[in-house]
Amino acid sequence: MNARFSLGIDLGTSNSAIAVADLETDQTRIVEITQILGPNQLGETPTLASALYVPNRDEFPQGSFRLPWNDAGESAIVGQFARDHGALVPDRLVTSAKSWLSNLHIDPKQRILPWRSDIAEEKLSPLECSRRYLQHLKDAFLHAERAHGRDWDLSEGQIVVTVPASFDEVARSLTAEAAKDAGLGDVTLLEEPQAAFYAWTAQAGRRWRDLVAPGDIVLVCDVGGGTADFSLIAVTDVEGGLELERVSVGEHILLGGDNMDLSLAYVLRAKLEAAGKPLDSWQFLALVHAASKAKIIMFENGALSQAPIAVPSRGSSLLAGTVSTTLDRETLEQVVLDGFFARTSIGEVPRENRTGGLREFGLPYASDPVVSKHIAHFLARSLQNVRASDNLTALVGARAATEALSPTAVLFNGGVFKAAPIRARMLDLLASWNGGQTVRELQGFEPDLAVARGAAIYGRHRATGKGMRIKAGAARSYYIGLETSMPAIPGYKPPVKALCVVPQGMQEGTELLIEGREFGLVTGRAAEFRFFSSSVRSGDKPGQILPDAERDLEDTGLLEIEITALGDVPAGQVVPVRINTVVTELGVLELWMKHVNSDRRWKVEFQVRTE
Amino acid sequence: MTPAGYVSTTVEIRYCSRVRRRRCASKGTTASMRAMRAVSIIATLLLLAANAFALLPVANAFQPYLSGGALALGLIVLVTIVAGRGPKGDTGRVAAEAALPAPVPTQASQAAVEVVSFLAVLQERGRLVDFLMDDINSHDDAQVGAAARVVHAGCKAALQEHFRICPVREEREGSTVQVAAGYPADEYRLLGRISGAAPFSGVLVHHGWKTDAVRLPRIVRSSTDRLPAIAPAEVELK
Repeated sequence: MNARFSLGIDLGTSNSAIAVADLETDQTRIVEITQILGPNQLGETPTLASALYVPNRDEFPQGSFRLPWNDAGESAIVGQFARDHGALVPDRLVTSAKSWLSNLHIDPKQRILPWRSDIAEEKLSPLECSRRYLQHLKDAFLHAERAHGRDWDLSEGQIVVTVPASFDEVARSLTAEAAKDAGLGDVTLLEEPQAAFYAWTAQAGRRWRDLVAPGDIVLVCDVGGGTADFSLIAVTDVEGGLELERVSVGEHILLGGDNMDLSLAYVLRAKLEAAGKPLDSWQFLALVHAASKAKIIMFENGALSQAPIAVPSRGSSLLAGTVSTTLDRETLEQVVLDGFFARTSIGEVPRENRTGGLREFGLPYASDPVVSKHIAHFLARSLQNVRASDNLTALVGARAATEALSPTAVLFNGGVFKAAPIRARMLDLLASWNGGQTVRELQGFEPDLAVARGAAIYGRHRATGKGMRIKAGAARSYYIGLETSMPAIPGYKPPVKALCVVPQGMQEGTELLIEGREFGLVTGRAAEFRFFSSSVRSGDKPGQILPDAERDLEDTGLLEIEITALGDVPAGQVVPVRINTVVTELGVLELWMKHVNSDRRWKVEFQVRTE
Repeated sequence: MTPAGYVSTTVEIRYCSRVRRRRCASKGTTASMRAMRAVSIIATLLLLAANAFALLPVANAFQPYLSGGALALGLIVLVTIVAGRGPKGDTGRVAAEAALPAPVPTQASQAAVEVVSFLAVLQERGRLVDFLMDDINSHDDAQVGAAARVVHAGCKAALQEHFRICPVREEREGSTVQVAAGYPADEYRLLGRISGAAPFSGVLVHHGWKTDAVRLPRIVRSSTDRLPAIAPAEVELK
């Protein structure tokens, strides 16, 4: 393909953004997104709120939400108005649809959103919500570019969609599916922390090679509105040139800036209630908003000892009904810095709150709000992962000898790190874990837009074959569950063994045939396998068998395959097959069952987990 | 306090070109005049608000009244322009120009729809209409001050989102400044004893405000002919 442009799409949990790299002019820019700002109102903003609102039939006049590219309007509204209006009508608002894609308990293709809502209108599946965001982003991109006289054809572009590094293959393939359904074709997937790193190298220009050195371990620390995502990238010297390799990825953590704003609002509400000024739920929303603003102002201006907070009345009498209080610096620092970025030791890990046997289904929000502990946990897991393979151990050298893999440099990303005091606290914390030695900050920029920009830059590197690439490959290793055949013993459940089918780091554009293990599949009958993964077992080799999958691995879903009867393979016959693993050029994992005696093969489908 | 702000030429040119591109491609000057009228209305409203807020240090107990007064004046100007039947002599040059009868009624009402929609933004974000329509005399300064914070935070955010605003002169007020020959007359108001030709030298009393970029939400016309609501009545269903 002779690409003319590269489109980077940051499909975020709270906000999405798009950037385009024009390969003809070699310019990369953010594309502002046309969206609905109110009934009959359209405008452009740099990001699209990843929020969707399902209006009641009579709620707005017919045709209030027409888009320039869709005169009929959609059945649901996407973007800023959806988020702001939906906050007042939570029953009809969908947020964090993306996090449902990696949910362990719910099928993302089921129509479950808005979650726990009683609306009469048809609900949407998490997959469908993601599709709608992507479709809006696609249409807005084409619309904006056309307005500037650039009439792109999507087939002439390299399209990159970013996903959290913590996404497993099921969530990744769902994202790719949503993109395809949105009319984006086969997209390339890129981990968000890597995208942030690409944006940083592009911004630093040629200088970036001077800002990192062989032996550096860079922590990409991304804390957005609702999620936290971490990765470690090692810098090495290969024949005199710098090479980068992503050595570990974190788990999916639902914790971010929104939690900080909420915590501040709770403290302020208690203060107002103590002063005899109770708030209703609408005013509480306004208070969260005001607290967020005050937090930003005070973090920007260290000289302010307090910031006023005014919460407007619900009714029209603003003068009589406005209640006011102040947010003082001590409270702010206590809640945000000491609450979320506490100076914990590297050995302190997040507490798990699984008291009851039954956990309520829903999004698995982090039960421990301390970001520091989640990072410490990630660094400890990273060390475990690095030690599992000789290759990675050699890569990080002496740093593998400690308690956790402590980084030497950090790149911040996400809205939370706009605040200099939070960055300073993080640097303090990382230094204290690094034996007092300073951890360098790689100066980031545009924390809300870097991921989209980095994705466009990565797409450009791919399309042109020029420019730096981070060596990454599969972030996890994957396994197929093998039911142990042994006599039934009452009260004892035999462990499930696991066969490694994809090693960690398996490169894009490569494939494997798992030798030594044949399966007999019966034609015309669906076969199911359990599917497991791990992000800390870099040493496992394809074909290796693990004795206890449930103890050592994460449950990732189910695999389903049905071999159709055809020609020389009649129904009911047992077909001997081997597993054939492919990581496509686009970064999508495919599993195939390959006939032992011929070249014929059948694709294995990922099934989402339902419990 | 200056009642009529400073309307910069650059605003009008920029806005007109946007408008022309968007929906007046074949209609030359009348369309751009109508567009200028729309922007004058908005700019009057906006700059009044900006002037008022700029003078809002919390310490001064009279400030809420002052700013409230300025804002009220802005609203009066706006209402008379929109209604087209106010006392034209009282509202000054900008209003008189803006109130020129529009030749095609449907186009004129598009301008009115746009003004009401922007007023709706200021109400939605900063409760401006609630603030101005309230009875200020029955509340003490603390209450007025608290409400002014809501208005200030919301309207300022709306202004900054939709306009790029900067002073006409960067110098400190009270310092002596030069007004060069060929200065844009609409960006300056010369006071005191004016004689001879530019350049002039004088004391900067007010640094002025101007904007060089306007990004208003685009209004997609609804089928109804009436003006949109400034703020919808809110009814909570249980």
